[in-house]
Amino acid sequence: MNGIIEAIKTGVPGVEPVEVSYPEKGYHCALQASPDQLIGVVRFFDERRFYLECLICTDYADYLELVYLFNTHLAPCRAKVAVKIDPRQPTAPSISALYASACWYEREIHEFYGVLFTGHPNMAYLFLHDGIDHYPLRKTRVPVPPEDRARLDSFKPCEAEDTFFINLGPQHPSTHGVLRVVLKMDGEYIEQAEPVLGYLHRMHEKMAENRTYQQFLPNTGRMDYLGAMSFNLGYVLAVERLCSIPVPDRAKFVRIIATELNRICSHLLWLGAYLADLGALTPFLFVFDDREAILDVLEGVAGSRLTYCYFRFGGLYNDVDDAFIAGTRAFVKRMWSRFSLYEKLVTGNVIFLNRTRGIGTITREQARKYGVAGPVLRSAGIACDLRKMEPYSAYNEVDFDIPVGEHGDVLDTYRIRVAEMENSLRIIEQALAKLPGGPFMAEKVPKKLKPPRGDVYQVVETPRGELGIYIVSDESDGPSRMKWRVPSFSNLMIFPELAKGVLLADAVAILGSLDLVIPEIDR
Amino acid sequence: MGERGFHLEKEIVPVKFALVEKVLDLARANSLWPVTFGLACCAIEMMATAMSRFDLDRFGAGVFRASPRQGDLMIVTGTVTKKMAPVLTTLYEQMPSPKWVIAMGNCAISGGPFVFEGQYNLVEGVDLLVPVDVYVPGCPPRPEALLEGFLKLEEKITGSRRFPRVESVW
Amino acid sequence: MVNDLLTLAGSDAGKMVIGLVGVLAFVVVNALALTWAERKIAGHMQRRIGPKEVGPFGLIQPIADAIKLLGKEILTPAKADRPLYFLAPTLIFVPVLVSFIVIPFDAALQVTDINVGILVILAFSSVTILSILMAGWGSENKYSLIGAIRSVAQNIAYEIPMLLALLPVIMLANSLSLKEIVEGQRGLWYVVVQPLAFIIYFIASVAETNRTPFDLPEAESELVAGYHTEYSGMRFALFFLAEYTNIFIVSAIAATFFLGGYQGPVLPGIVWFLLKSYFLVFVIIWLRWTYPRVRFDQLLNFAWKGLIPLAFLNLVITGGLLKL
Repeated sequence: MNGIIEAIKTGVPGVEPVEVSYPEKGYHCALQASPDQLIGVVRFFDERRFYLECLICTDYADYLELVYLFNTHLAPCRAKVAVKIDPRQPTAPSISALYASACWYEREIHEFYGVLFTGHPNMAYLFLHDGIDHYPLRKTRVPVPPEDRARLDSFKPCEAEDTFFINLGPQHPSTHGVLRVVLKMDGEYIEQAEPVLGYLHRMHEKMAENRTYQQFLPNTGRMDYLGAMSFNLGYVLAVERLCSIPVPDRAKFVRIIATELNRICSHLLWLGAYLADLGALTPFLFVFDDREAILDVLEGVAGSRLTYCYFRFGGLYNDVDDAFIAGTRAFVKRMWSRFSLYEKLVTGNVIFLNRTRGIGTITREQARKYGVAGPVLRSAGIACDLRKMEPYSAYNEVDFDIPVGEHGDVLDTYRIRVAEMENSLRIIEQALAKLPGGPFMAEKVPKKLKPPRGDVYQVVETPRGELGIYIVSDESDGPSRMKWRVPSFSNLMIFPELAKGVLLADAVAILGSLDLVIPEIDR
Repeated sequence: MGERGFHLEKEIVPVKFALVEKVLDLARANSLWPVTFGLACCAIEMMATAMSRFDLDRFGAGVFRASPRQGDLMIVTGTVTKKMAPVLTTLYEQMPSPKWVIAMGNCAISGGPFVFEGQYNLVEGVDLLVPVDVYVPGCPPRPEALLEGFLKLEEKITGSRRFPRVESVW
Repeated sequence: MVNDLLTLAGSDAGKMVIGLVGVLAFVVVNALALTWAERKIAGHMQRRIGPKEVGPFGLIQPIADAIKLLGKEILTPAKADRPLYFLAPTLIFVPVLVSFIVIPFDAALQVTDINVGILVILAFSSVTILSILMAGWGSENKYSLIGAIRSVAQNIAYEIPMLLALLPVIMLANSLSLKEIVEGQRGLWYVVVQPLAFIIYFIASVAETNRTPFDLPEAESELVAGYHTEYSGMRFALFFLAEYTNIFIVSAIAATFFLGGYQGPVLPGIVWFLLKSYFLVFVIIWLRWTYPRVRFDQLLNFAWKGLIPLAFLNLVITGGLLKL
């Protein structure tokens, strides 16, 4: 960590990096920059092969603060760059030329805060629509001026001589959810793909500012309904980090058992849905059978089948009983035998292999520039899994592998997800064996939380990849700003790049392999 | 709680339906083809209802048609935002009559957990856009609840219920 | 009066009329039965039961579906090309009905035995492509158009191996008439002599009927519903029925050409014929619920670079062996 601070001091003149306590804040160093110095700082990080984790804007009353979080895939080294801008004339230079992932983050901040990024190629609506005439996330009501409205409303696909536009969605015959992709087609080949988001924008971030920390807990499960446990976990870990609440060991182990069961659930559903996209409808029903076994086990302790709200600040809502342990053991035993069925039905199928081999290849540089996460990142050959990089809960006490792909194509993402399911079973077995006794909830967790002023950033590894939660606290019992850095958003960014010049059927295969869950993208 | 069922009492129906209408209603109730319209979390529970454990195909409703021209039932599963509202109404208009709508989940009934002061993107209930026949509450409702919603819709169409009603114990 | 009717019935024209009526009845019953069979078989393969509540074992389900479709509102898209849009569903039934005229259900149960029987069937099956293209173009819908174009390319590509696979059998039987082809299998079924031709014909026929793994024209996850996206009610039902009847016809031809048609011990001929045809129909349904879809360029490559050379080779070898 010291190395990076020294490097910044020498590499970028005029900035003062400060080392920060990681257990308290979730990042390793912080520095302030002015809008003029920003490009220099970003170029510094780009040369050292950092990736842009997130771009956040917060509305403090006297100024708007842009926070850039950079990180590497090789070792945990998170740097926070904060830029203050004037709220009456908010402008900042765009870094989308250096980092392609910044393109959409800047569009989002523009339509939610009104910050104009100079040099950005396309400032049209991403989530919102022209019925919303103010900048929603500002603390006071700031209406949208006419010239900005013209800029936002500028996406109008028009047909040319040899090409035509086709909409993939928002109503899908498959499980993608409400994603609309506008495809410019030349016959069967795609010339350009432009996702249009926001059909499920449920205002989670605005709600967070109107709720207390406890009241926001149910929202976390609705953001990613397939991996609700990991979103739950990320949120409670973030608040526990903010308020320094300790967690008993039993709760830590149960948390990872529940999260890994949920991971298997999510990957199974992805498998079925992906094959349904490719045309094979039967595996979809087989995976739901396996999922029902997991849901029965989890329903017994969490009370819910899909959108869990099982974790609380300091532990769990409910202790696990013998029925849960017996049910989990039985499920693990059954699941080990199911892999051979999927192997025969899916992995050995010639048609499936021909549809997925060599499709949608991602290079390492693309993976870094777009900030992709999860199995998509690991298929490109980068062995980065946050459960091993920045271990949380009891992950450093269990032994598991990180499957990595070689080619970066869609078949690799499939293989990685199946291998991740096997590793999850191993984690569950070890955690069940090591499950300690004791309390499941910390003592004396205050009903009204009094967090210190400041911000934290917590990351967890969801089934789709890296989830980051950035909370800004102003000492009240609810967050002042909560930003969710979701993996599906970053993974979707690479889709227009991969879809250029491919057949429609391949584009559907690539979109399915990114494993998107739309509510978490739209938040 | 009291009986909240839907009964077609012989005495209060002023119009007598001919046999053809009865046969048509029976056929329509037993062959409801849903249009795939999964919006959010409830869609997963709708899919679970169509899968092997709960099997919606038993009632003839397992053929999920992708094109709205070929479906007769729209199950609105999930939150309807203002951006999605025109899409929903277009799809509803494209369906040929007779058509029905089931509002599944709290979001489709009245906005669900996302109603808060200052909300700017939510349509608080799909019945503000299209006429709804059956409301299935829950967040998300269990597959058994959706099956009950189906049976209620069949009762609404034909006037008689397939399975006996389960009486509440409270 | 009754005598007049009987002589009328016994005449050739009378026999043809009775045959046509019988064929129409069979087509309808077959289509209903196949929709039921598909859902039941799919259900059992997927560890569930399928239609169960509507009548015993769900047997009344297809009738409920048909009555419901009859009672649907008939919608026409505003910008649709009316003559094409209206004609397509009716036109798709023409090859189906014509094909039934020449298929021998039993030694005496054939509407009429044209001496170029198989040529009639192959010629009229091209009309199916025409009606799919009319449906796709006339709907004024991009998805329908893409589906229809895919279907045209696919059908053209797979008609050729179909024909090339049937030719060796025609050479062996020395006739184009279906009855004589069945009679030629008195000693040995042609599937034993020409196994490769049987496999090629079967694969090509699955592609001709637009079934998975070759169901790109109706690829649900990509194209909403393909060429029949804009059809509702009974018009959609006609497409559906035509597809299922086509499945039966290609299986019937396979049974006639390769599996001995109506020949078999003990049971009457028609029972054997139906058993063999429906067994192949079951295999086609089985394939749908097992395999994913092939991509479009892989589909065409498979036909042009794989099946056609193979079928051609088979034909040349058969011709050479017959000469010797």
